[in-house]
Amino acid sequence: MFPKLDPLLHSELRLAVISILAGVDEADFTYLKKQTGATSGNLSVQIDKLTAAGYITVEKGFKGKMPRTTCKITPAGQEAFKDYVDALKQYLNAKP
Amino acid sequence: MEQNKEMTAQESLSLITETLNNSRKDILRSNAKYYMLWGALLTMFSLVVYVLWNSTGHAYWNTIWFALPLAGFPLEKLLAKRDDVVRSENVISRITGGIWLTFCVFACSVAIFDILCSSITKNPLVIIAVGTSLSAQIILLFGLAEAITGIALKNWIIKIAGFLTGIGGLALYYGIGLCEEQMFLFTFAGIVLFITGILVKRQYR
Repeated sequence: MFPKLDPLLHSELRLAVISILAGVDEADFTYLKKQTGATSGNLSVQIDKLTAAGYITVEKGFKGKMPRTTCKITPAGQEAFKDYVDALKQYLNAKP
Repeated sequence: MEQNKEMTAQESLSLITETLNNSRKDILRSNAKYYMLWGALLTMFSLVVYVLWNSTGHAYWNTIWFALPLAGFPLEKLLAKRDDVVRSENVISRITGGIWLTFCVFACSVAIFDILCSSITKNPLVIIAVGTSLSAQIILLFGLAEAITGIALKNWIIKIAGFLTGIGGLALYYGIGLCEEQMFLFTFAGIVLFITGILVKRQYR
């Protein structure tokens, strides 16, 4: 019996965002946009979904006079990401 | 990138691996500019101290070295402000950053301790020992920091440069003796650090 893949993470853009955040302390919106190649609107929607699930936190501030949105993975997000990767490995190992 | 694209397990794992790799490379590449900054400053300071020491004959120009962290850290902060990632750190960048911060603290502590020790004591042997070993201690510490950086980054050239600067620098130092020419050891160390930055940038391109 395979574990169910987290539907929230099993989406290309959300998975990319959580993978980036898993490797850094925190990252700002511009960096996420550059790394994923997503549009601002699309990225905002996916970030909101991850925030609502408690996987990431979003902090709005300023860098000089420019507004800056900073995202950070939460312990719950790290746990979900780890579970997701473990589940993927099980799927792949089960292949003949 | 689409949010609703159906992915296979293999595609998901590839996406995770690629994203993690890209962000790791990005972080380490963005750290390269700090090596270049400190390398350039070290080279500049060593040449300034050499020129002043050589033209006046006074070793007390070495106190200028204390201005190096005062100039370096604000400039480092300025460079960091231009980064996209607010706190772009991973295990390797945290280790290498820690190594160089420790080097800075140790080098300043050794210098302060040696200056205090030689100004308090009346024992001429201690004064000579302290006066002749300060640069040797710092060049050894530098070589150690550079070699460990090479080990952390798995870069043979940086590793060898660390051993050469530390051990080779020590041997050269005792050959040169207590004169202004010893500043060239730090000029060399600065160039090594600058090249380290270039190598890191190329390694994580």
